Amino acid sequence: MKDVMTNSPFGPEDMARRRKRAIATAVILAVLAVLFFVTTIVRLGGSVAMRSM
Amino acid sequence: MSDINAHITEAQAADTGGQGTVKDYFALLKPRVMSLVIFTAFVGIIAAPGTLHPWLAFVALLAIAVGAGAAGALNMWYDADIDAVMKRTAKRPVPAGSITPSEALGFGMVLAAGSVLVLGLLVNVLAGALLAFTIFFYIVVYTMWLKRLTPQNIVIGGAAGAFPPMVGWVAVTGSIDLGSIALFLIIFTWTPPHFWALALWKKINADYSNAGVPMLPVVAGPDETRRQILLYTLLLVPVTLLPALTGTVGWLYLVANIGLGVMFIWHAWRVYRIREGQEAEIACKKLFGFSTMWLFILFALILVERALGLPLFAPVV
Repeated sequence: MKDVMTNSPFGPEDMARRRKRAIATAVILAVLAVLFFVTTIVRLGGSVAMRSM
Repeated sequence: MSDINAHITEAQAADTGGQGTVKDYFALLKPRVMSLVIFTAFVGIIAAPGTLHPWLAFVALLAIAVGAGAAGALNMWYDADIDAVMKRTAKRPVPAGSITPSEALGFGMVLAAGSVLVLGLLVNVLAGALLAFTIFFYIVVYTMWLKRLTPQNIVIGGAAGAFPPMVGWVAVTGSIDLGSIALFLIIFTWTPPHFWALALWKKINADYSNAGVPMLPVVAGPDETRRQILLYTLLLVPVTLLPALTGTVGWLYLVANIGLGVMFIWHAWRVYRIREGQEAEIACKKLFGFSTMWLFILFALILVERALGLPLFAPVV
């Protein structure tokens, strides 16, 4: 792995920035998943649990 | 294991982008503008007749905020050349070189599409469509077309900043009602005196002049700008009474609004009368500061009336 980093034109600072951007993107995706899930539950309403199977 | 970037030189790596921090990307969203958009959209949601589940209201606000941020990022992508010339904007991420124009474009487009889809799918389609139109209006009509073409840029382009309360309103009702148009008209009429007060500052005026942006003080001169500020202020005060006719507000808003309107006219009158020296500059700065606070208080009054459960006027129109 060290060898790969030595050959890369991206320095440690670039990699640190990239890592932070990747984390931010992951957080945004997770928030979106929660957003869609909770909204689905809210839109369905409480009575969905009482439906006849 | 091989490195897929090994063939790229350091210079190429910098050109490729990837230099921006999370903070740079956040700056692309124009957070200060975004905070005003969130506030006015929130007032639109609260003022609208009907109810919206609090979670859906939160989703709507989030989508409107991200849509506003997307518009900011796309504006910075397109205006990077003039931002680089103006001192006030030279440190923005694109002219500063921390984010490439194509990164700003991609970021803005993804956020624009995402915010419109979220609002349209999770809240209602009309609100999503109106948000899409708002972003289109700000980028294509204002930024790309009018800003560099005419001193009326801010008058027509100001509509983009006036849409958020209407989008919030539509998120609740699913329709564009007169009450939402009244809120739209307030911000639409408020924008020219607010923005021209800023454009009259010597530093800002010099910035626009150097960048070749035909703002009113650059093209028509400070005297004509002062006259226009006064005229728009005189038009703005009666426009702020429209929510009373649509049954959106009550006595508290009406009474406070008359006092606020008189103060606004007084500030605009001072800008009109005092034309030379440091005092003229101070009068412009005071009008700019007051107009920002004025809009905040005016919209906050609507929230206060709802929070206290005060009675509203019966709609006349």
